[in-house]
Amino acid sequence: MKTYSVVGKSVERTDARIKVTGQAYYAGDLTAPGMLHGKILRSPLAHGRILNIDTSKAKALPGVMAVITGRDFPGIPFGTRPDIRDQLPMPITKVHHFGEGVAAVAAVDEDTAEEALDLIKVDYEELPVVLTAEDALAPGAPLVNEFKNSNIAYASDFMFGDVEKGFKEAYYIKEEKFSSQRVSVGFIEPHACLAQVDSTGRILLQGSKQSPYITWRHMCRALDIPLSKMRIVNPFVGGGFSGKHDPFDVDFAAVRLAQITGRPVKIVLNYDEVLAAYRQRNAMDAKLRIGVKKNGEITALYAENILEGGPISGIGPFNIYYFGAFLNIPYKIPAIEYHGKLVYSNRAPCGTVRGQEIVLAQFCIDSLLHMVGEDLGIDQVELRAINAVPSNWVCANGIVVDVSGLSECIEKASEKIGWKESRKEKKEGRGIGFSCASHPSGPRLGGHFGSAVMLKLLEDGQVIITQGATEIGQGSNTVFCQMAAEELGLPFEYIIQGVSDSDTTIFDSGMFGDRATYWDGNATIAAARDLKKQLAEIVAPSLNAKPEEIEFENKRVFVRGEPARGMDWLQAVRKAYYEKGAPLYGRGNWAALDIDIVDWKTGKGNLVHGLDFIATAIEVAVDRETGQVELIKAVHGDDAGQPINPAMLEGQVNGGSAHMSGHALWEESLYDEKGRVLNYSWRDYKQPTAMDAPEYHVEHIHTHDPYGPFGAKGAGEASSCSTIAAIANGIYDAIGVRIKELPITPEKILKGLKEKEGK
Amino acid sequence: MFIRRLPKFEYHAPESIEGAINLKLTYGEDGRYIAGGTDLLIAMKKREVTPHHLISLSNIDTLKGISMADDGGIRIGAMTTLGEIERSELVKRYATPLWDAVDVMASTQIRHLATIGGNLCSAVPSADSAPPLIALRAFLKILGPSGEKTVPVENFFKGPKETVLNGEEILTSILIPKVDENSGGCYRKLMRRKAMDLAIVGVAAWIKLDQEKKRCIDARVALGAVAPTPIRVEEVEKRLIGSIIDETSIGEAAKIAGTQCRPITDIRASAEYRCSMVEVFTKRAVLGAMDRIMAG
Ligand SMILES: Cc1cc2nc3c(=O)[nH]c(=O)nc-3n(C[C@H](O)[C@H](O)[C@H](O)COP(=O)(O)OP(=O)(O)OC[C@H]3O[C@@H](n4cnc5c(N)ncnc54)[C@H](O)[C@@H]3O)c2cc1C
Repeated sequence: MKTYSVVGKSVERTDARIKVTGQAYYAGDLTAPGMLHGKILRSPLAHGRILNIDTSKAKALPGVMAVITGRDFPGIPFGTRPDIRDQLPMPITKVHHFGEGVAAVAAVDEDTAEEALDLIKVDYEELPVVLTAEDALAPGAPLVNEFKNSNIAYASDFMFGDVEKGFKEAYYIKEEKFSSQRVSVGFIEPHACLAQVDSTGRILLQGSKQSPYITWRHMCRALDIPLSKMRIVNPFVGGGFSGKHDPFDVDFAAVRLAQITGRPVKIVLNYDEVLAAYRQRNAMDAKLRIGVKKNGEITALYAENILEGGPISGIGPFNIYYFGAFLNIPYKIPAIEYHGKLVYSNRAPCGTVRGQEIVLAQFCIDSLLHMVGEDLGIDQVELRAINAVPSNWVCANGIVVDVSGLSECIEKASEKIGWKESRKEKKEGRGIGFSCASHPSGPRLGGHFGSAVMLKLLEDGQVIITQGATEIGQGSNTVFCQMAAEELGLPFEYIIQGVSDSDTTIFDSGMFGDRATYWDGNATIAAARDLKKQLAEIVAPSLNAKPEEIEFENKRVFVRGEPARGMDWLQAVRKAYYEKGAPLYGRGNWAALDIDIVDWKTGKGNLVHGLDFIATAIEVAVDRETGQVELIKAVHGDDAGQPINPAMLEGQVNGGSAHMSGHALWEESLYDEKGRVLNYSWRDYKQPTAMDAPEYHVEHIHTHDPYGPFGAKGAGEASSCSTIAAIANGIYDAIGVRIKELPITPEKILKGLKEKEGK
Repeated sequence: MFIRRLPKFEYHAPESIEGAINLKLTYGEDGRYIAGGTDLLIAMKKREVTPHHLISLSNIDTLKGISMADDGGIRIGAMTTLGEIERSELVKRYATPLWDAVDVMASTQIRHLATIGGNLCSAVPSADSAPPLIALRAFLKILGPSGEKTVPVENFFKGPKETVLNGEEILTSILIPKVDENSGGCYRKLMRRKAMDLAIVGVAAWIKLDQEKKRCIDARVALGAVAPTPIRVEEVEKRLIGSIIDETSIGEAAKIAGTQCRPITDIRASAEYRCSMVEVFTKRAVLGAMDRIMAG
């Protein structure tokens, strides 16, 4: 195999110094001449009819330049898919959750804007609230969403293989119920944006956006303008984790206020607003039944899953789809039946969080698998190894697994955590839990779905890269610079990261599902090849060679096999610029065209490439007196194909795991009986700190994905999917208490211990 | 409902205690002392209090610093930051339970601003510095227009966010008596997270043993976060004093502690959980104190 000079090296992130020294500008740092400050008035009710909004007093306050409500927008609903367009920029007839924005103000300064909010009078008629899936599905339940005449927002029923036969063949069948809580997404930077409108009416939005394309599409639809009337520039973004895909009232209000006042408008939220009123992960109620042979081989799986997702569908259909379609991995399951439902409620609107709802599915499956292992006396590692998906495996729904390093991942993780030794001598209150997971490298969506990269060759030999993927902290920019450098035969420092701007880049369809490294990576290689081809044509005649014979390596351009017969890169660049009058762009695009488009109805097809695999082993210590769980050590055997930047890859793997340890043990957004959020401060919403993280180890299992750039796969989300069950299983291993309702709080553990002792 | 902008106020920074008291006399209810501001500014952003004059104590040097008094006790100025206390060898050595407390309070950044005086004067039930100071039998020096008074820490709190301070009085310093021979103390705090978290339960214990280090001849136990104020639990102390400190006496004392607390159920924990944790943490604090006596 080829040895790489930049790929596979832990080079310094392109943004490391800038961020560490505080020089990175985020949306909240931006200013513009004449800029106004916006603020949003929020609903104190979780469900209510808006009878009247009186903004006259607020408008009259000196320094207030504009006040808007939902009525100031065209009234066109938007949504992820045509059949679920169920949300408005700001509500018109009713409020759907606590803290929903009902009016917005732009004023000369923040204090005046805030004062104006106090002067807006909203008359509500309080409506009964729907809080849980059970509430939503109860006969005669109040309807939550005004665009739908049912509280069922979306439903899917999948059938893969012969389930009846599978359960018939089972030696042992186990059925359990699982549930999960509402959690906040957990990025650091609260929502913020700066909107400007030029004299032609063209809008410029600079916001804290994970997927500017999604924001752009939805906003233009709801504002009733063509895409070309809006430009989006992405500044530095302080984390996304799927909480910043779509446009929010923040973005809509800033734009509308800028349109009305003709002045730039900035809105920056406080984090309490984010915790109370913005994206969360769905609460889940699931029932799973698994059938296994005597040796633990899975014969069939049945899963029911109801997600309570707040008042809008958002990307909820994806959550239902992902949960069901990816039950097919990481274990070989010949037959699967799945019924998924997304229901509306009067809690904060949901998107998803890192790992999509594979996170929840995997929590259920791997918890259940552990129970089966306990019941049948099968070793937890063997149980997973025997079921692990191998390479060249065709799943029950048709997904083709090209390359799987899962068996090795399991082996390495169990070795490193000391599983065998731990069985010989069990320490009091200590336990080890396992879970595996797999995550695809991006789905093929309907509509725009390809990735594009542009390389601009500068006169001094450096290259500016712009790509459709957006850097949100995950490190994608660095990875593409590495790939471009590798392909062009240049040092990493020669590649400069360009701006993420809808005028000059073609945005990716969205930044989710571990897709960027894979899709934009391939597009980067294509762009570099395009640039090399153009340069080769210019250089070849002077070397008495054919363009196809020209190679690029070590800052040199030369005839294959004869490094001396060539010239320096810079000389070649000058040749293009000065002799041929040919300043060059390299262009590349890539899309997985040989996979099937997302099939929402059946969940079938070869839906993805680049399945990355992980086996996670976590050692926990449980305090029997307090019920507190300490995470001691976590080991991830991780197959992300060829690691492009091993240090950053480890950051992604460990970060995803640390993130979900919060969902497992600490975090829960609490609501009172009227749907008001109870803990929307960092004091009371218990996201873990660095002090709560265990010692982490990542064992890279190098594989070579046939479709991935340099053999790489996507990364970062699989560890999110494997962490929660590993913790739950570790707790069971430590004290024999099985918690199936997240989060696993000390009080639940003590209750479990009491029940166990009572037996 | 949501956090607001900081309201407008005038900022005063007198350089003497008298100057501060005079400003407070001038502005009355509309004036407020500010130390590190880590409690007060948040309360103002929530509009719980809206003084128009903030009288900073930051420029008054006599309110700062940690020193050993002539009698071997420790004096800590009210304006000493938690960070300074955390880094103090004197505190670590002679007022160990207080060091235990600051070590697990807030975060490095907050400890850099927050003062011990502010922690006591805010008087929330979970104030971490209170139980150790009660266990250490500490006194507070208070200065007002009518002169100085000295109050034991256990008598300082009147209710949630309420103290014996009236009007213009300033807490100037904390006096921790000299450590007795064969004595030791410990503070243990239960939190959900390992940092940046308020106490669900906090227990401080101080034990004094006889010459043979066998029998307990004096004890102080104080609880935080489980009653309207930090409280001293004399019933627990009574069970310990005169006893050999062993599993039985500790277990029984801890049980008593669990019955002495009066916690509420809130989103952080149920009252029931808190009571059972008082028991667990009383045990751990007493054991921690014993370990230190035996080691020292
Ligand atoms: C993120 C965060 C984490 C925290 N974690 C903890 C924790 O773990 N444990 C804990 O106990 N607390 C914690 N706190 C609360 C707070 O930091 C402490 O109570 C701190 O010690 C308060 O001190 P300060 O100097 O900031 O007080 P300030 O906010 O300046 O003052 C508090 C009150 O005391 C009055 N006051 C201050 N000094 C005097 C004086 N010398 N005489 C008279 N009145 C005075 C003020 O008028 C005000 O009413 C936390 C706070 C934050 C923001």
